[in-house]
Amino acid sequence: MDHFPNYWGMPPQESFDRYNIFQDKTKNNAISDPTTNTKQPIVTGTSVIAFKYKDASFGSLARYREVERLYPVGEYTVLASSGDFSDFQYVKHTLDKIMTKEYYTNDGHILGTPHIYEYLSQVMYHRRSKLNPLWNAFVVGGYHNGEGYLGYVNLLGTTFQASTITTGIGMYMASPLLRKAVEGHEDTLTEAEAVDLVEQVMRVLYYRDSQSINRYQRAKITAQGVEISPLLSAPTDWSIGKDLRGYQ
Amino acid sequence: MSFYPYTDNGGSALAIAGEDYCLLASDTRQSGEDYKIHAGYVPKAFKLTDSCVYAGVGFSADGVALVKRVRQSIEWYRHAHEKTMSTPALAQMIATVLYSKRFFPYYVGTILGGLDENGRGVVYSFDPVGSFEAELHKAVGSGAELIQPFLDNQVNLKFLPEVERTPLPLDVALQIAKDAFTSAAERDTKTGDYLEIFIIDREGVNVERFDLKRD
Amino acid sequence: MFLTRSEYDRGVNTFSPEGRLFQVEYAIEAIKLGSTAVGIQTSEGVVLAVEKRVTSPLLVSSSIEKIMEIDRHLGCAMSGLTPDSRTLIDHARTQSQNHEFTYNEKIKVESVAQAVCDLALRFGEGADGEESTMSRPFGVALLIAGIDEKGPQLFHTDPSGTYVQYDAKAIGSGSEGAQTELQEEYHKSLTLQSAETLSLKVLKQVMEEKLNNTNVELAAVTPEHGFKIYSEADLQTVIERL
Repeated sequence: MDHFPNYWGMPPQESFDRYNIFQDKTKNNAISDPTTNTKQPIVTGTSVIAFKYKDASFGSLARYREVERLYPVGEYTVLASSGDFSDFQYVKHTLDKIMTKEYYTNDGHILGTPHIYEYLSQVMYHRRSKLNPLWNAFVVGGYHNGEGYLGYVNLLGTTFQASTITTGIGMYMASPLLRKAVEGHEDTLTEAEAVDLVEQVMRVLYYRDSQSINRYQRAKITAQGVEISPLLSAPTDWSIGKDLRGYQ
Repeated sequence: MSFYPYTDNGGSALAIAGEDYCLLASDTRQSGEDYKIHAGYVPKAFKLTDSCVYAGVGFSADGVALVKRVRQSIEWYRHAHEKTMSTPALAQMIATVLYSKRFFPYYVGTILGGLDENGRGVVYSFDPVGSFEAELHKAVGSGAELIQPFLDNQVNLKFLPEVERTPLPLDVALQIAKDAFTSAAERDTKTGDYLEIFIIDREGVNVERFDLKRD
Repeated sequence: MFLTRSEYDRGVNTFSPEGRLFQVEYAIEAIKLGSTAVGIQTSEGVVLAVEKRVTSPLLVSSSIEKIMEIDRHLGCAMSGLTPDSRTLIDHARTQSQNHEFTYNEKIKVESVAQAVCDLALRFGEGADGEESTMSRPFGVALLIAGIDEKGPQLFHTDPSGTYVQYDAKAIGSGSEGAQTELQEEYHKSLTLQSAETLSLKVLKQVMEEKLNNTNVELAAVTPEHGFKIYSEADLQTVIERL
């Protein structure tokens, strides 16, 4: 008799739980076992894409039907996450806490996008240095001192800033598209063109990323503040499907 | 699957010490795993003092953390001793900082380029755990295997028939640095985009930017 | 004295209503009971000289040590409760060694004076986070002599944790007379040799006993030899110049 309800009704083959979602409860006793850290993400989100345009904006791709992975922090900053969802929730909570503290301190100092990004980067590097990482790749986007601001930080604490940023599989498929459309045109790209670009890239990702779903949100950050769209989907055309040969 | 706390972000840097100047050059590409390029302009060379520049290649997050720590130490030193740290002092200090993390190292290849107390060009290179040496020219990073022998030949005049050795003029050193990087960018996928060249002389530190292959 | 100062001279960190820390002031008084020590800075180096109180003919005078080495380029002379100086000098030596280890350069004379003064005020209960190793102020003053990139320098530290740079300074029981004498005799172009004789001449005037090569100690810090304590023979040649 199998005493672990997780396994009831599951096929006996070793191959069924390749991603180790069903943990072996015999190996996890909170009292006697040593402390263990996250070794793999569980609930994950796929690509985030972001780029600067005339007034700065960016978009994202969501998975898990209606899980939102764009989160406003303060008035001029949006945090976007791919990777572990619970770690993202923890980071949202942490950032909310410092924003609240900063607000009630009421000393006239406001945490802008670069400050939030630097703080988050330090948290990420600190956690990786404790070998207990927050399993995410974050994009911090915002508007600060009259300019768009875009920064990336991941579970290793690796950081960079650029006018186009992508995460996950989007790093392979969306980057070339975005760079071609954005680099060198940051100051001339209009909002309408930016919205089109987001849709175009989201469509490509939906077509080619098997983990994705055709639902995404788009955030826009300008001098007027943050605007996060409701769930959107890109019009798709599968009519060529019947002509594809060579796949089962 | 277990968490591995390092990654290689690639990139190369070189430094050449002249009689009364020092030159430090580094590309600005940040690479990701596989064939990913994170971004084209992510500097990994930083001015530390009016007579010293640092470059760190390898794991970018460690490089950034190291610079942050070193800059703070320079500031504390300035408060404690009312002077800016000399380049040799900086080199020794960086070595102790690197060795203090001997069992969880900063995974960076470090070079320092600057002037010593007598105004002569010096280059120091470090391994990730703090072993260091003063040299006249050095290349580190993903393109080091390509650049180092080129510098040995062009700066130190190795593998050439006996020639008269004269001090290397700055404009020649600059050209060597540019050529070294254009060639490295051709063969090394992790080196490219832009080149930043720091020139350190008695007047201070100046930066020049130069285009490299972007593919 | 006791009538006016009672109450406020008990706790080592208690201010009097006039804003004074009596225990620190008493510690400074303790130095005035110590044997006289003199330091003179010249462009060629710094000279330190101290009086040794040889209280018995049976006392081995060489066992009295009032000038100590901090590093090869640093020395110090003391007056007051000399055992208290051990903690301070130990700290100065540690700081000097640490500096050379970390920066591969010699520590500055002023930085050593600062390091000593950092310790000087660490008495009493110990503030938040830091532990205190001393329950009362250190009852000793130091003359720190050394050479660095700024040249030969002389610093004076006292129990209040204050350090000041001097061209020439006398501390201890005979300091008042000695300082007046130094003020009259000192000039910027003094040679090391004339500083040697001046220091002994000043000591001779304030000492009760007759000065000889066993009841004074003389040392110098020079660019050529670093810190050196004079042997009895070397001392004799200086004494003969008096």
